Amino acid sequence: MARAGGITNAVNVGIAVQADWENREFISHISLNVRRLFDFLVQFEATTKSKLASLNEKLDVLERRLELLEVQVGNASANPSLFAT
Amino acid sequence: MAVPVEEAIAALSTFSLEDEQPEVQGPGVWVSTERGATESPIEYSDVSAYRLSLSEDTKALNQLNALTQEGKEMASVLYTYRSCVKALPQLPDSMKQSQADLYLETYQVLDLEMSRLREIQRWQASASSKLAADMQRFSRPERRINGPTISHLWSMLKLLDVLVQLDHLKNAKASIPNDFSWYKRTFTQVSGQWQDTDSMREELDDLQIFLSTRWAILLNLHVEMFRVNNVEDILQVLIVFVVESLELDFALLFPERHILLRVLPVLVVLVTSSEKDSESLYKRVKINRLINIFKNEAVIPAFPDLHLSPAAILKELSTYFPKFSSQTRLLTLPAPHELPPREAQEYQRHYLIINHIGAIRAEHDDFVIRFASAMNQLLLLKSTDGSDVEWSKEVKGNMYDMIVEGFQLLSRWTARIWEQCAWKFSRPCKDASPSFSDYEKVVRYNYSAEERKALVELVSYIKSVGSMMQRCDTLVADALWETIHSEVQDFVQNTLATMLRTTFRKKKDLSRILSDMRTLSADWMANTNKSESELQSSQHGGEESKANIFYPRAVAPTAAQVHCLQFLIYEVVSGGNLRRPGGLFGNSGSEIPVNDLKQLETFFYKLGFFLHILDYSATVATLTDLGFLWFREFYLESSRVIQFPIECSLPWMLVDCVLESPNSGLLESVLMPFDIYNDSAQQALVLLKQRFLYDEIEAEVDHCFDIFVTKLCETIFTYYKSWAASELLDPSFLFASDNAEKYAVQPIRLNMLLKITRVKLLGRMINLRSLITEWMNKVFRENIEFLFGRFECQDLCAIVELEKLLDVLKHSHELLSRDLSVDSFSLMLNEMQENISLVSFSSRLASQIWSEMQSDFLPNFILCNTTQRFIRSSRTVPVQKPSVPSVKPSFYCGTQDLNSAHQSFARLHSGFFGIPHMFSVVRLLGSRSLPWLIRALLDHISNKITLLEPMITGLQDSLPKSIGLLPFDGGVTGCVRLVKEHLNWETKSELKAEVLHGIKEIGSVLYWMGLLDIVLREKDSMDFMQTAPWLGLLPGADGQIATSQDGGDSPVVSLFKSTAAAMVSYPGCPSPTSFHIMSKQAEAADLLYKANLNTGSVLEYALAFTSAALDKYCNKWSAAPKTGFIDITISKDFYRIYSGLQIGYLEESAQVPSNSHERLGDSVAWGGCTIIYLLGQQLHFELFDFSYQILNIAEVEAASVMQTHKNSQFSVKGWEALLEAMKKARRLNNHVFSMLKARCPLEEKTACAIKQSGAPIHRIKFDNTVSAFETLPQKGS
Repeated sequence: MARAGGITNAVNVGIAVQADWENREFISHISLNVRRLFDFLVQFEATTKSKLASLNEKLDVLERRLELLEVQVGNASANPSLFAT
Repeated sequence: MAVPVEEAIAALSTFSLEDEQPEVQGPGVWVSTERGATESPIEYSDVSAYRLSLSEDTKALNQLNALTQEGKEMASVLYTYRSCVKALPQLPDSMKQSQADLYLETYQVLDLEMSRLREIQRWQASASSKLAADMQRFSRPERRINGPTISHLWSMLKLLDVLVQLDHLKNAKASIPNDFSWYKRTFTQVSGQWQDTDSMREELDDLQIFLSTRWAILLNLHVEMFRVNNVEDILQVLIVFVVESLELDFALLFPERHILLRVLPVLVVLVTSSEKDSESLYKRVKINRLINIFKNEAVIPAFPDLHLSPAAILKELSTYFPKFSSQTRLLTLPAPHELPPREAQEYQRHYLIINHIGAIRAEHDDFVIRFASAMNQLLLLKSTDGSDVEWSKEVKGNMYDMIVEGFQLLSRWTARIWEQCAWKFSRPCKDASPSFSDYEKVVRYNYSAEERKALVELVSYIKSVGSMMQRCDTLVADALWETIHSEVQDFVQNTLATMLRTTFRKKKDLSRILSDMRTLSADWMANTNKSESELQSSQHGGEESKANIFYPRAVAPTAAQVHCLQFLIYEVVSGGNLRRPGGLFGNSGSEIPVNDLKQLETFFYKLGFFLHILDYSATVATLTDLGFLWFREFYLESSRVIQFPIECSLPWMLVDCVLESPNSGLLESVLMPFDIYNDSAQQALVLLKQRFLYDEIEAEVDHCFDIFVTKLCETIFTYYKSWAASELLDPSFLFASDNAEKYAVQPIRLNMLLKITRVKLLGRMINLRSLITEWMNKVFRENIEFLFGRFECQDLCAIVELEKLLDVLKHSHELLSRDLSVDSFSLMLNEMQENISLVSFSSRLASQIWSEMQSDFLPNFILCNTTQRFIRSSRTVPVQKPSVPSVKPSFYCGTQDLNSAHQSFARLHSGFFGIPHMFSVVRLLGSRSLPWLIRALLDHISNKITLLEPMITGLQDSLPKSIGLLPFDGGVTGCVRLVKEHLNWETKSELKAEVLHGIKEIGSVLYWMGLLDIVLREKDSMDFMQTAPWLGLLPGADGQIATSQDGGDSPVVSLFKSTAAAMVSYPGCPSPTSFHIMSKQAEAADLLYKANLNTGSVLEYALAFTSAALDKYCNKWSAAPKTGFIDITISKDFYRIYSGLQIGYLEESAQVPSNSHERLGDSVAWGGCTIIYLLGQQLHFELFDFSYQILNIAEVEAASVMQTHKNSQFSVKGWEALLEAMKKARRLNNHVFSMLKARCPLEEKTACAIKQSGAPIHRIKFDNTVSAFETLPQKGS
């Protein structure tokens, strides 16, 4: 029968485990906040892209209207006699 | 220019991270992270730090894990293997000399593939021997090593699973032996010149045996395992572990569960094929438990399109393992294709999602509510400072429970999809026709519409819950860590401490194990308890110590700690004896009390689940991965095609099901199935590592998304058109209709879909909203184009229908514009009308109306003065027109029912042109194109008059020099004959017909102008009533217009002037100039609208124009009187011509009375009388018209006849019809003259006086004129 257990030098292992808990708490705290920062950047990018899409949509509408007005003015300028009264 | 940091931060704080994008897609991971907890990132190298003598176990564990990873890669190679032979060219006979070169090239290509297969063969031999050696290591009683750990057991099972799957893949891929045969043939051909080919040939023979033999890997593994004895113990331990894990089932996620289900039949075969006592297994595991598992799981997923059946595996393996043949109870289990119908029904109830979707829906709704509540509690906790420790622990514990439950739900749901797919693959559609391929039988025609809908719903639940959990990862991570830490410390410092004081006080060996658990995982600094306190407590004997209270610490145990804790718990329970009877935590023969066993068991399985919680992102990704729904390598193999059409692709089938479904509630889930493509593409690149698979997925996604956008836009367009048409439907029609529901439109929530600007698709962001907007702009224009084209294929009577359809389109555009920014409808209408330019006065519609009037309406339509309508004459030649193009119902009113209802209204206005049609013309053309049309019509009148002049001259030439009054002596008969003698027009019947037709057209145009005048007056009245209050106009005395102010400004001008004055004196106004400009613009508007008040009548203008056109022919058609008296013998004036034409026309119509209205209609009277009136010949006409004289003579004759024959009845024999027609004509002419006099009074033409002696006194003659004559524009001037 294999003899399981029996940690040799249990006191030293316990001390090392205790130090490891505290070190990993610090590491977990840092890594979690880095991930939160990353999440914020991702969400910022998505939100900004969405707002830019809305702005682009408005610009498209204005551009089409401007193009229409340019065509109308162009036609009017090409036929000045029609407005001579 | 640099912005100060403080300002930048202040600006950023006002930036809102909330946008209006709806969440209708699954979770998308921006950066892929490797697993960090389920598998130790440092390969358990930290285990040795705990000095548990597990170094051998750790080394073997890592070796097995590495082999498993390699095996998965080789399984990917086998699964994605595509046949090379199908790509080989066949040489024609004329190129036989190149056969040797072809063989060499073929060999080189195939050698590349065969080398990979050879690598697989070598790998499996190595893996089998290592796995067997690993198992044997724990079977030798003389060895004293610790283990195996639970992680080690899992590694063994996973490697065995990979080996089994490789065997199954090799069995299923028929192209591999075929390709190998070709390879061997080419090798024989090209190796003639090579040296030392014997070893290569021997190697080829070995590879061929390996590829051709079924279950070769398993047989090899069996040989390796039983090379030495005593391996049965570890196999039995594995079986016990598998069975108990499956039966407990609360700590397993579905991938682990499927691994165990695939491995269990193989383990049973291996253990029962041993030479030793095979019945010893059933002392530890009852055979009924195995049979129950195999029965409950008839079909197990193995690969995306490959399924396994435990019963079938057991049957097939019995032929290879003779000793297993004696297991009759296991071999009698039915395979899926052998199931009786009743049992198949039972399994179908279990496997099909549609039978569970109701319960799943309830689970989803309940979980989402509780999850949101827990999240709110957590956020509230974080925003509160110095919260209560107990409350904090409770909130975080609740969050942990929610996460665990979420994982279990996702696991159960995704497993259900896997299992349904496996079941569908095992039972093809039975109603399939022979032309269907195998894949169509198991996928395309194997899912009913209800089943697809249930699958879409479940996919949506999985993706939405996964997205919700993914989004709150960083919010809940520290809470989860803290809860896990608290659980571990509570177990280690409280539960184990209690056991040490009670159960294990006198068991030194077990106490040491428990102390080791505390040593390797206790966090003593997290509480107020000290080891010294414990020692003091134990020194005092039976003194009770209080339970420890822990301060929170958000850090979780490492994989190594979990690994070692599980190992030690297992050692406590089993004592390290592989042969110990009973189950893993069975209490038979155990010395540990039941309560303690229960606590150890619960914590044991909790430890396993901790790793999934700590691997949060990877777990969510694994549980929501549905990419397997796309892969079909096995069926591509068996169907011998390159790829299936998209109709056979399950993700596209789901999208199409949503789009075609009448259930509009599903529409918000339409993007969820596209996540399946995202998952499958990820698998193709990361797991299967095949670029060509990704390319195929990308091609299909591009194709499907295009079709999806098209279908979605058609759905949206049809919906809005139906909605608009339904709203514009006549209420009285709806009330009278028997079934009004069919005209109602079911609402669809489209605003969410119309907002999406980022659709995540294969790593790209697609702006769906802009695509829909672009498509809508295009389809509205196409609809207008179609309506115009349809109108151009019909006559002018269709103008009302055109206006109604454009109203529907305009209203649907208005409804759609609430959610989408499409071009304005007027812009699109102007575009299609081709009159965008400022100097465009005609338009496509106006041109079409004018063309139609010129070519069809005026020649072919006749007027009915009584009904005020134009109808088509029955004697016209049909005009050849292009046929109406056929389109889908959405281009009309959206649905067939609404189209039918609309056509009911349209039919009321077809076949005639009247006031409603004129209203439509005015509204459609507007004030922009209407003047153009009016001018065109007036020019038409002028041209017609010009054309009539030579014809009338021709008629005039035939008349005698003078025509006197008709004598009474001859009676009606004599007078008619005398008129004919006077006219002498028998030889000019064609000329007469042409003149009549011309006069008719002039009359039609003038009457058309009359209708237009009526409509325009109504419109102007409405406009006036809207603008009058602003202009200060009031009704005054005698119907005149009075002003509310005496010479002052109108109200609109006063209002803006006072506003500007107030703003100038207001100090806070930044730019008072704007109000001044507005004031000036108000004055301009006032002038413009007042000028429009005095617009004249269109009819009067038309009559004036006609009069001006007639002036050129006054001298020819009106003889000047030589004396001051009426000349009763004038014979060549226009009224004489028209009188002759009229009597001839009446004589013809009297002969065929039934067709009298269908010849030329009443337009002739309007045309002729108008010309007579404008020429000033009305009185002459009324005095000397032949018909009128005949009527007078008829009256006199009738009276004299009555006096002579008192007893006879009144009759002018033979002339009744003609006389009646003459009376009608006289009434109509009188009506026309009275209308003309009312609308267009003439000035006095001449005046004269007579002296008492009877001699006339001549005066100056005035020209024939009307009031507006001086203002007429001259054409061409």
